[in-house]
Amino acid sequence: MKIITCCKIVPDEQEIQVLPGKELDLTKASWKISQYDLNAIEAAKKLSAEIPSTLTALSIGNSNALEGSKIRKDILSRGPDELSLVIDDTHHFSDSLETAGAIATALKNSDGFDLVLCGTGSGDLYSQEVGVQIGALLGIPTVNNVTNIKVKGNALEVERTLEDEIEILEVSIPAVLSVSSDINVPSVPAMKEIMRAGKKPVHILDIALTDAASSVEQLSQLVPEQQERRMEIIEGDNEEAVESLYQFLRKEIL
Amino acid sequence: MAVQSIFVITDKADALAELCYGARKLADQVTAVVFGDRPAAEKAAACGAQTIFYGPVESCRPEDYCKAIAEEVRKVPSALVLLNNSIRCRCIAGTLGAYLNTAVMTCVNEISPEGGRIVCKRTVYGGSAVRSQVFTGAYGVVTAGNGIFGDIDTVFPAADSIAEIPGKPECAVRLVARNEKKGGGANLAAAKRIVDVGRGLAAQEDLDMCRQLASLLGAELGCSRPVAENNKWMPIANYIGLTGVTVKPDLLFSMGVSGQVQHIAGINKSKVIVAVNKDKSAPIFKNADFGLVGDIYKVIPELIKKLS
Ligand SMILES: Cc1cc2nc3c(=O)[nH]c(=O)nc-3n(C[C@H](O)[C@H](O)[C@H](O)COP(=O)(O)OP(=O)(O)OC[C@H]3O[C@@H](n4cnc5c(N)ncnc54)[C@H](O)[C@@H]3O)c2cc1C
Repeated sequence: MKIITCCKIVPDEQEIQVLPGKELDLTKASWKISQYDLNAIEAAKKLSAEIPSTLTALSIGNSNALEGSKIRKDILSRGPDELSLVIDDTHHFSDSLETAGAIATALKNSDGFDLVLCGTGSGDLYSQEVGVQIGALLGIPTVNNVTNIKVKGNALEVERTLEDEIEILEVSIPAVLSVSSDINVPSVPAMKEIMRAGKKPVHILDIALTDAASSVEQLSQLVPEQQERRMEIIEGDNEEAVESLYQFLRKEIL
Repeated sequence: MAVQSIFVITDKADALAELCYGARKLADQVTAVVFGDRPAAEKAAACGAQTIFYGPVESCRPEDYCKAIAEEVRKVPSALVLLNNSIRCRCIAGTLGAYLNTAVMTCVNEISPEGGRIVCKRTVYGGSAVRSQVFTGAYGVVTAGNGIFGDIDTVFPAADSIAEIPGKPECAVRLVARNEKKGGGANLAAAKRIVDVGRGLAAQEDLDMCRQLASLLGAELGCSRPVAENNKWMPIANYIGLTGVTVKPDLLFSMGVSGQVQHIAGINKSKVIVAVNKDKSAPIFKNADFGLVGDIYKVIPELIKKLS
């Protein structure tokens, strides 16, 4: 089976700075693989252990996110056999359709696939829509919040967990599945995998993305009002410290 | 009106009235799409929509109606599609968006008309910022966060028309089986006091001491996302944060929670936050009114003794 896992490179939200005008400064944040895409890579790895598969990771984004060799190796150390990149600085990829459209274009230009896996949502924008929109744009079956995947002959049996029910679905391939973040626990790459990652192929795809305008216009992006906190912090968990905690609670609520 | 037409689509009966109520404030014409048979649609007659379409789901799934719904939407020159933010509705939203050539704005916390446009606000970068956006094309798709339109204070007459969705469902995916899931969680959104447990808890059994503490404080038990999702120690419905429940209790007592932005986004409306964490530099302390740098395994039993 030919599996393509989509992963987004996002700024580490813990390292985002706030500018005086309440705008964000992303320039000092380092880049990382979006947390929930690790579940998609892990799901692909598990499938490839069951049936012979080739595993390609696909990432689309601006050059500042994708140029670094460290991030490329990080992706490759987690299981994929190869990495395909679409590097484009003319798009922001900040709306779900623009991103899905770019990925769909890359997939159409690839030499075929059976299964595309996406994470539940990206760590930065978390629209949770890109996988679904890729499937709809390509006119192939798509399921979100997948919690288990089994290969059944020429089709997949997919478990999808909704808020109050679980569906078991039969999905023909090719298909696009967005996996839930509780489908697995991503494994930490072993030293051997990290060593091997540098030798795996990285393909820079030369694909013309449409220059259609984004369907969304951003008016502003501001830090929300922060609640003032008293920050009375004491160190220690001895009798005395717990007594002050108890006194605080008593004063507040009891 | 900021937009001529709004299509409300829900897969949860209790979300329908709220979304239609909100839609009526924004648009002249509101059309509702519900999944079920005609009697179910008739029960919803006074939801606030002028037109109701229903799609029977005995032999297919709501997702199978996306093409048919998109065709209805395309009959008006411009429209907003408004859905509740459930997993199923996010799937419908994305598919409709692709057919209508638009992105989806998910989990929008505020929708307001401004100068003839509809401005939507949603949280990005894990809660670090709020982004205001408008759609630029003829159609837009939005999934709405819970309770964004406030309490319904209008009584609407029955819909002018109730009809089956004209287009036929298309099943791309076959439903093999469907199972009810057990047990939702506590009603954290309404709780006055909450004990909030993080990954600082070492074992599932230790939830017992947290429960005991919660009961002494008259509090509900909530948790961080990994405690529910990765450890599966508590129901998914009990996790707090940006992608979980937003809480606003008088007291939130966090124990062994590091305080990552996504978690803080769900607790920062709490009146008082108390935190215990053994790591002095844990970000939770910047968001706490009272913090104790220490081991929850020493603090909780001691506190239970004092409260008993
Ligand atoms: C898009 C996206 C959305 C997310 N949405 C949410 C969300 O809605 N809600 C959410 O919670 N998370 C969410 N997360 C995950 C979030 O980033 C964090 O991973 C998560 O909140 C961490 O949970 P935690 O604090 O329990 O665990 P950790 O970060 O592992 O923290 C555990 C803490 O326990 C402390 N500790 C350990 N042992 C003890 C002890 N004996 N005594 C005292 N302290 C101890 C440690 O010092 C540490 O600070 C989201 C992430 C992403 C990318």
